Amino acid sequence: MEQSADIQPVVELTNLEFQYDRGEFHIKLPNLIIHRGQKVAMIGASGTGKTTLLHLIAGIRTPLAGKIQVSDVSMNQLSDSARRQFRISHIGFVFQDFELVEYLNVFDNILHAYRLNPSLQLDEAVKSRARELAAQLGIVDKLKRSVKALSQGERQRVAICRALLPQPQLILADEATGNLDPDNKQRILDILFRYVDEQPSTLLAVTHDYELLERFDRVIDLKTVMAIAPALSETTQSVASPLAQKRQEETV
Amino acid sequence: MNGMKASFFLAWKYLSFNKLRTTILIACVTLVGALPLSLNLLLSASERELMARAETTPLVVGAKGSDLDLAINSLYFTTVPPEPITMAEVTQIQTSGLAIAIPLHTQFQARNFPIIGTTLDYLDLRQLTVAAGRNFSILGETVLGADVAATLNLKPGDTLVSSPESVFDFGGVYPLKMNVVGVLEKSYTADDNAVFVDIKTAWVIQGLGHGHQDLAQPEDSDVVLEQNDNVVTANANLTQYNQIDADNLASFHFHGSTDTFPLTAVIAVPQDDKSAAILRGRYEVSEASSQIIQPASVIEELLLEIFKVRNILNLVFVLVSVATVVALILVFNLSLRLRQREMETNFKLGCCRSMIIRLVTAEIATILVVSLGCSLVITAGTGVFKDRITRTMLS
Amino acid sequence: MMFRFNSHPFSRIMVVAIATTSLIISSCAPAEVNENTEQTENTEQVDGSAVTTEGSQSLIYVSNYPLQYFSERIGGDQVKVELPVPGDIDPAFWEPSADELAQLQTAELIVLNGATYEKWLQTASLPQAKTLDTANLFQDRWLSIKEVVTHQHGPEGEHSHEGTAFTTWVDPTLAIEQAAVIRDRMTTQFPDQADLFATNYKALEQDLTTIDEQLATLVVDSADQKQPLLASHPVYDYLAARYGLNLRSVLWEPETFPDEDQWAELESMLAEHPAEWMIWEGDPLPESVERLRQLGIESVVFDPAGNVPEEGDFLTVMQSNVENLSPVFAE
Repeated sequence: MEQSADIQPVVELTNLEFQYDRGEFHIKLPNLIIHRGQKVAMIGASGTGKTTLLHLIAGIRTPLAGKIQVSDVSMNQLSDSARRQFRISHIGFVFQDFELVEYLNVFDNILHAYRLNPSLQLDEAVKSRARELAAQLGIVDKLKRSVKALSQGERQRVAICRALLPQPQLILADEATGNLDPDNKQRILDILFRYVDEQPSTLLAVTHDYELLERFDRVIDLKTVMAIAPALSETTQSVASPLAQKRQEETV
Repeated sequence: MNGMKASFFLAWKYLSFNKLRTTILIACVTLVGALPLSLNLLLSASERELMARAETTPLVVGAKGSDLDLAINSLYFTTVPPEPITMAEVTQIQTSGLAIAIPLHTQFQARNFPIIGTTLDYLDLRQLTVAAGRNFSILGETVLGADVAATLNLKPGDTLVSSPESVFDFGGVYPLKMNVVGVLEKSYTADDNAVFVDIKTAWVIQGLGHGHQDLAQPEDSDVVLEQNDNVVTANANLTQYNQIDADNLASFHFHGSTDTFPLTAVIAVPQDDKSAAILRGRYEVSEASSQIIQPASVIEELLLEIFKVRNILNLVFVLVSVATVVALILVFNLSLRLRQREMETNFKLGCCRSMIIRLVTAEIATILVVSLGCSLVITAGTGVFKDRITRTMLS
Repeated sequence: MMFRFNSHPFSRIMVVAIATTSLIISSCAPAEVNENTEQTENTEQVDGSAVTTEGSQSLIYVSNYPLQYFSERIGGDQVKVELPVPGDIDPAFWEPSADELAQLQTAELIVLNGATYEKWLQTASLPQAKTLDTANLFQDRWLSIKEVVTHQHGPEGEHSHEGTAFTTWVDPTLAIEQAAVIRDRMTTQFPDQADLFATNYKALEQDLTTIDEQLATLVVDSADQKQPLLASHPVYDYLAARYGLNLRSVLWEPETFPDEDQWAELESMLAEHPAEWMIWEGDPLPESVERLRQLGIESVVFDPAGNVPEEGDFLTVMQSNVENLSPVFAE
C-alpha cells in the first residue's frame, strides 16, 4: 500500500519526549504519522516502550514534551477527564489478557464501556448494535453466559466487541493475539481488518507475532523511530513494511 | 443520573457475584441496625408487662418489712412468703366499705407450683377465665393455671396433692389431695404457674380446719379418749381426712374465729381515689402492725434501677456499631485492592474520573438499603410479636 | 431518576423497605388501644358496680325466703330474685352442691343473711365483691345460743345449734335493718333507680313497723309479760329479745313426735319454767299437741318463714303469726 498524502492523519506525534520504566533516561520520538484506514503493526523488543506509546496516544499517560494529535485533537493539551471522554468514545483498546469483567456476562461485558462513562449513552440502539456485533463475531448465542465459560478465542472476540461498540476511529491493540492459538490469531486479525475497512477506521497493533506482519500495511520498528536521550537523532524515518523497505533501499 | 444507574448496575452485579461476602456484610449491618431497635422494643414491652401487672394491683396490705418482697410475692408468688398477717385485716377493710379486700395465702406448694389461697375476686381482678371445667366452689377444690395443668398433665376430675412443708413435718401441715375442677386460660403471667384454691382450703392445708368422723357418733369407739357433757376428745387414732369429697364435706369446720387465721397479703381494690387515700392513711400511723404499699410505685422504682442496664446496652451497641463500620471500611478497602486490575482496565478504557467512588458508593448504598430492609423486617417482626415474645420470656 | 420498576432490583428493595416500615407503624397502634379498654373493664368488674345493660333485670340470688321477699319488694321489676334452696329444706341447713354454687357465682348480687345463718359458707367459695351480708351492721346485737352438741333431724340429717343465733328477721326491727342494707346496695348498683328503691323500701318499712307495733302491743297489754314460754326450736331468740319474752327452747320438730328422753327433758324444764304455751315453727302433730295439753301446755304456730310459704307471702305469714300469738298474751 502506498501512503496517500491527501488522507487525513489519524495519529500525529511531533517531538515527543516521554519516560518509561522509571529509568533514568527518556525516549524521544521526533515524528510519527498514521493515516486513516491504515493497518499498522508496531514491533520491537520487549520493554522498548511500545505499550507506553500506545498509552500516550490513548491519553492514558502524558508526555514530558511534544505534541500528540489524534484526529485533530491535541491530546497533550486536554484535561484528564477530557482525555478519558475522548478515549472511551474514539479509541478502542484490545488487550493481550482480554481484561474482561468476571462478574458480568458476555452481553454486559460488551456494553461495559457504556457504563463506565456517562458521556456514552446506553440505549436500545446501542444494545441492538451490540447484538449485531456479537452476531458478526459469532458469539451471539453466548450472550447470557459467564465469561469464564468461554474459550480464549471467544473471550478475545468479546473484548473486541467491547472495543468496537462505540465505533472508534482508532483501534489500539496491545498484543491482541498474544494468547491465542494460530487459527484464532488469524481470525482475530480478520475481524479487526474487516472493521477497519468497513467503518472505516484505523488500526495500530503492537505485536510479537512476526508471521502476521505481512498482512499489515505498515510495520513500525519502534527502535528505529525513536532515540534515547540525551542524545537526539536528527532524522528518524518511519519504516514501511519489509517489502516497502526493500523497495526503498533499492530506490536509494 | 445515567451514571448513577450504571454504577448501581455494576455494584449489584458485583455483590451478587460474591454472594458469601455480600451476605456477611449485609448480615453484619442488619444486626447492627436491628439489634438495638429490636432490643429497645422488647425492653419497653417488658417494662410495660411488668408494670401492667403492678398497675392492676392497686394496693397491697402485708406485714411490715421490705415493701419490695411484699410486692414481688404478691404479684409473682416467688420469693419466700413474707411474715403472715391475719384475716382480720380483710374483715376490717371489708367492713370499712373502702375497698374490696382479696386475701392471698402463698405459703404452700404443690409439686413446686405455688398454691395461692384466695377468693374468686382474685380471678375477677386478674380477668382469669376458665378454659376447661369451672371455678372452685367447694372446700378442697382447685383451679389450675394453664402451665400447671400442661406440665402436670392435669384436667378437671384429676387430683393434686399439696406438698408437706418438710419431710419431717408429720405433726403439722397435712398434705391435702385437692380436686381439680377447672383449668384457666393462658394469661402469660405468673398466674399460669399457680394452683388456685379458696383461702379456706389453704387453711385446711395449714391444719386450721379439718374434717373427721363425727366424734359424737364415732364409728370406731377406740377413737374417743373421753367424753363429758359437751366435749369429746379424740386420741391420735383419729384419721384426719386428706381429701374432701361430698361425703365428708359436712364434717369440715374450723376451730376458732377465722379472723385470727393467717394470710401472706391482702390485695385491696379501692372504690375510688378518695377511699384509696383514706385506706392508705389508716396504715400510715406508726402503731399499725401492718403496712400498705402501692405495687405500681414499688415496681416502677425497681424497673428504673434494672433498666439502667439499658444505658449500658446502648453504649455497647454504639461501640459495636463503630467497630462494625471500621471493619466494613477495611473490607471495602481490601476489596478495592483486589480489584485493582479491573480498575486499571476501566481507566484504560476511559472510565470517568469518579468511577471508583461511584462504584464504591453504589455498593455501600446497596448493602445499606438491603440491610435497612432486613432490619426493618426484623424490627417490624419484633414489633408485631413483642408482646408474645415478652410474655414468653417473663413467664 | 427514573428506575424501571419491573426490572431494576434497586426499586424492588425500596418497595420492600417502604412496605415493612408501614407494617411497623400499623403494628404499634392497636396494642395501645387494647391496653386502655382492658383497664376500664377491670375496675368495673371488681368493685361490684353496675354491669348490666339498661332495661334488663338484674339477677339476684338470696339465701332464704325473707331476703327474697325484701329484695323483691324493694327492687320491683328491676330485679329477678332467685332462692336456689329446694322448697322442703330449711335454708339454714342447706348444703349446696358444687353445681348450685357455680350457679350462685353467676349472680350479679348474692344477698346473705349473715350472723352465721349460712353454714354452707364455711366450705363454699363466693366472690366477695358480689355478696351482701345483711346482718353485719348490727353485729353487736347478735345473740349466742348454748345448746347440746347434736341431735337427730329431718331430711337434712344431723345438725347442731351452737354459737350465734341466726334467725334475725323474726324481730321486725332487725328485718327493717336488713332491708335497708339491701336498699343501699341496690342504690349503689343502680343509682338511677334510687328513688324507686327508696319509695319501695318506705312501704316495706311501714308494713314491718306495723307488725312490730302489733306484737309490742300484744305483749305490753298482756297481764304477765314475763310469763314463761316454750319454743319448739331455738329460732325465736331475737323475737324474745325484742319483746322481752321469757322464752326457753327445746329441740323438737313439728312433724316428729318427741321421744321419751325429750319428754323427760321437757318435764324437768317445766319444773323451773312452768310454761303454758309452746310456740311451734310449723303445724305440730296432733299427738304432740295432745300430750302437751296433758301437761297443761297449749300449742300455737309462729312460722319464721325461712323458706317459701305454701300460701301467701312473708307479710301475710307474719300477720297470721301475730294473730296466732294473741291468745298467748290475751289474759
